[in-house]
Amino acid sequence: MTKPSGTGQPEPPATSSSGASSLVTTFFDRPLPLYLSAAIFRLVFLLYGLWQDANSPVKYTDIDYLVFTDAARFVSQGQSPYERETYRYTPVLAWLLLPTAHVTGNRILDVAFFSFGKVLFAISDLVAGWLLEKVLAKSMDAPRARKFATIWLLNPMVATISTRGSSEGLLGVLVMALLWAVLERRVTLAGLLLGFSVHFKIYPFIYAPAIVWWMDNERMSPNKTKPTSLSSKPPFLTAKILNFITPPRLQLALISLTTFSTLNIAMYLIYGTPFLQETYLHHVTRLDHRHNFSPYNTQLYLSSSLPLSSSSSFRIEKLAFLPQLLLSTVFIPLVTAKKSLPTSMLAQTFAFVTFNKVCTSQYFLWYMVLLPLYLPQSSFVKNKKFGLAALVLWVVAQGAWLQQGFELEFLGNSTYLPGLWLASLAFFGVNCWILGVIIGDMR
Amino acid sequence: MRERITFVQKEGDSIEPTALKVDGNGLKGPEVKAVREDRLTFALDELPAELKALLEGVNQLHVRWVSPVAYEAVSPLLARLPPGFHLFYTPGSDASINPCPLLTKAFGLDSCSSPSDSFTTLPTDRFTHSTTHQFYQPLPSLKAFAHFARSLLCPPGSPSSCSSRLGSLTAASQLDLSYDTISHTLRLTSLWPYSPQSLSASLLSPTIRTEIGILSQTSPKTLEPHEIGISGLLTVLGQSTTPSPTLFSFPSRHRDSSSSFQAHFLPPTGLHPTLQLSISSPSPPAKSPTEETCRLHGYFTLPKTLFPDRHQLNDPLFLSSKNLTAVRYITPGIDLEAPEYVTSTWGSALLLELAPPHSSSGKEWTAEIPLHLRYLPPSLTGYQKAEVPYPALFWACTAEEGTKFPGNPFEKDRVGYDGLFGERTVFWHLNPSPADGKLVNTVKVPVLNLEKADWVGTVTGAVVVAGFAWVVIKLLGVVVMGGKKLGEDKKKKQ
Repeated sequence: MTKPSGTGQPEPPATSSSGASSLVTTFFDRPLPLYLSAAIFRLVFLLYGLWQDANSPVKYTDIDYLVFTDAARFVSQGQSPYERETYRYTPVLAWLLLPTAHVTGNRILDVAFFSFGKVLFAISDLVAGWLLEKVLAKSMDAPRARKFATIWLLNPMVATISTRGSSEGLLGVLVMALLWAVLERRVTLAGLLLGFSVHFKIYPFIYAPAIVWWMDNERMSPNKTKPTSLSSKPPFLTAKILNFITPPRLQLALISLTTFSTLNIAMYLIYGTPFLQETYLHHVTRLDHRHNFSPYNTQLYLSSSLPLSSSSSFRIEKLAFLPQLLLSTVFIPLVTAKKSLPTSMLAQTFAFVTFNKVCTSQYFLWYMVLLPLYLPQSSFVKNKKFGLAALVLWVVAQGAWLQQGFELEFLGNSTYLPGLWLASLAFFGVNCWILGVIIGDMR
Repeated sequence: MRERITFVQKEGDSIEPTALKVDGNGLKGPEVKAVREDRLTFALDELPAELKALLEGVNQLHVRWVSPVAYEAVSPLLARLPPGFHLFYTPGSDASINPCPLLTKAFGLDSCSSPSDSFTTLPTDRFTHSTTHQFYQPLPSLKAFAHFARSLLCPPGSPSSCSSRLGSLTAASQLDLSYDTISHTLRLTSLWPYSPQSLSASLLSPTIRTEIGILSQTSPKTLEPHEIGISGLLTVLGQSTTPSPTLFSFPSRHRDSSSSFQAHFLPPTGLHPTLQLSISSPSPPAKSPTEETCRLHGYFTLPKTLFPDRHQLNDPLFLSSKNLTAVRYITPGIDLEAPEYVTSTWGSALLLELAPPHSSSGKEWTAEIPLHLRYLPPSLTGYQKAEVPYPALFWACTAEEGTKFPGNPFEKDRVGYDGLFGERTVFWHLNPSPADGKLVNTVKVPVLNLEKADWVGTVTGAVVVAGFAWVVIKLLGVVVMGGKKLGEDKKKKQ
C-alpha cells in the first residue's frame, strides 16, 4: 500500500510500516487513546521513580524537586521559601507545591502527597500536548494534529524530566497556552499568561515582541476596512507609529506589565530582598563558571578566576547578551513573526538557548514544546535524510561534549582545554546551522 | 608566669628517683620513651602590649594546632583533632576587634582576614561550653610560630636554653593557646610525640616557677571505671632536689579506644571525590563502662577547596549505603556552587555518625564520605592540589549520670566536636595510622590549563560572531525572498 502522493503534505512520522498503519490511524482517530497512553506512560515513569527512590541509593528524583519541596515545607511552616539555599524561583512555585509538605502519618499517603508536584508537572505536560493539538488543528485535521502532538506527548525525555520533578513542564504549558490565547485573539488571557510566565522564568519575555508584531490590524480585526489601502503613498513615520499602536497591542502591554509588576511587588512585600536577590539579581551576579553546553563557558571560567584589576583586557562575555537578545527579541520576531508566529517563537527560543551564557539540557525543553508546530512544514520532515542528518549531528555534538564532561567530572582529567571547549563550540555551530534552516524554511 | 613540664611514659614504665639529677636550673636524667608536654601560663600583665590589647577585647580565644605528621599519643594526653590550625573564638563586647592580623603574624597564616569574612559561626544554643566562631586552615609546620615566640619570650640576655627550647617547637605534634575572660590567663601548651628522649628540662628564665613531672598511667584496684590513675614523680625546680612520688586519679574526657583507622580517596576522584575510612574494628571500646551508650563519630574540618552537601547526606538509604548513620553537625550556609577563589570563609566542619556493621567479629570495615570539589583557579599544568586533613574518629559515649571531668590536670577542651556533645560525653579515640605517615590526603583537581588558554577569548568570539552572522544572513534571505514574493504578487494582481 502506498500513500497517495503529490499532495504536497509532508508525511507524518511513525507511519512507516504499512501493516501497522490502520492500527496507527485508529490510534489517532479519537483523542482518548493518545492521551490515555500519554498519562499511563507518565504514571509508569512516576511509579518506577518511587520504587527506585525507595530501593536505591541512586535517586530518580531530580535534586531540584528536593529544593522545591524543601521550600514548600518552609512555606507551610510560615517561613520564606528562600530559607532553602539555592531556591531561585518565584514563591508561587513553592505555594503550588504546598501539598507536598503535608504529612498525615500514613506512609503511602505521605508518599502520594510528596509526589503531588510530579503529578502536577506531568499533568502540565498533558495539557501542553492538548494545546499543541489545538494549535496544530488550525491548519490540519485532528488526527494529523494528534500525530504531531505525539512528538511531545509520548516523548520519553519530556516524560522523564517532569516525573523526576523538574518544573520545566509548567513552562511548557504556560508558553503553549500563551500561543493558543494569542492565536485565538484572547488578548486579556494572553497578557495575563505573558506577565505570569515572565514572572515565573524570565525568558518568555522574548515572546513579547513577536506577539506584539504579529498582532496587526489585519489579524486582530480582519473585517474592518484597512486604513492603509486608502492611499497608495507610503505613510509618514509618525503615521506608521500611530498605526502600530493599536488597542489590542496596548491592551496586551498593559495587562502583561500589570500582571508582571503586581506579582513582583506582592512577592517583594511578602518576602523582601531575598525574593529579588534569588529570583532575579542572582542571574546578574552569577559567575556561570561550572562547565555546561554554552560556548562562552570556558571563557567565563577563565575570566572569573582573574582578579578584577586585570579586567582592562577585552572580555567577550560581557557582550554575550548582544547577539542573544538581538536575535531572539529583535531580528527573528521582526522577520518571521508575521509569517508564522509558532515558528518564530521556536526560532527565538532556539536562539536564546543557543547564545545563552549558560546552557544545560533542561533548557532544551523550552524549544522542544514548540517543535511539533514547526515540523509539519519543515525541510527536516520533507527531506527525511536531511532531517535525520540534522538529528544525528545534534546528538553527536552533544555526545562529544558529554564524553569530555564525563572525563572531567568523574575521571578527573583536565579536559577543559581543548576537548570540552571545542565540543561546546561544535555544538554551538550545529545549533546555529539548525536555527538557520528553521529560519530558511519561512521563506 | 608559671611553667609545667611533664613526661608521660606508657603504663607500666617508671623511673627511679635516684636516676634523676635536680638542681635550681633544671633536671637531668636517662633517655626514656615518653611524651613531653610543656605548659606555660601567663597573666595578662606579663604579655606584650599588642597581645594584651587583643586578649582584653576578646571573650574566648583558643588555638589548636596539630601536626600533619602521624604521631603516637599516650594516655591521658589523647585528645585529637584534624591536623592544621584551628581557632575557636568568641568576641568580646567590641565585635570589631580582629584577631587575624596578630594570628597571621604569629603563625604565618594566609587565609585569615577578619571574623566576618573568614570565620564560620558555631551553634551556641546546643551547649553553653561552645565558642561562637570557628576558623581553620591547613598549616604544616610551626616554624613561623617558633620564630615569633622566640622574639617574644627570649629577649636579649636570656639563657641560650630559652632559644633552643622554643626552637624545638618545630618538632611538636600539638600546640594549644588558650585564653578566656574568666581565668584571665593565657596558656601555651605544646606536646611532643611519644619517642625516645632524654629526661632533661631547663629553665626558660630564672624568674619562672617551673614544675616537672615524670608520670605514667596506672590501674590500681580502687579505680572507678570512668577514672584513670596516674603515678610518678613530681618536683618544683629550686624548691627541692629530690623528686617526690605521687599517685592520683581523675575522670578523663579523652580515652584510647585501641582501634585504628586510615583515610584515603577512592580513585578516580573526579570533581566529586569520596573519602574512604578503613576502620580496624566495628566494636565499641571494651573498657567503656557498660551503662554507657556509645556511637562512632567522625569530625572533619574541610578546607574551602571542597565541601560536603548536607542535602545529599540527608537520605537514610544513601547514608546507609556508605555505612553512615546521620549528619550530627554541619557548618550552616555552605555555598554549594561558588568557586574556591571567590569563597572567603575558611571551609566547613562536619560531624558524622558512622554505622559500623553489626557483626560481632572484629573485622576491618569501611565508611565513605562523598565530597564535592569547588572550581580552583586555572594553572599552567591543568591540575591543582587540594589537601584534605584526616578526620578525628572517636566513640562518643554518654553516661546517664556521672561526672563532668573536674580535677583533670591534663584536660583539653575546645577541640571543636566537644562543643557539639553534652558535658558528660567521653571520647574514645581511634588512632589514625596512615600508610605514608601523613595525616593529610591530596586530591589532584582538574582545572583549566592556562598554557592552552591563549586563544580561548579570540576563538570563542570569532565562533559566536560567525554563528550570529550565519543566522542574520538566513534572516536577510527571508526578507529578500519575501520582497520578491510581494513583487510577484503585485505583478499577478496587475
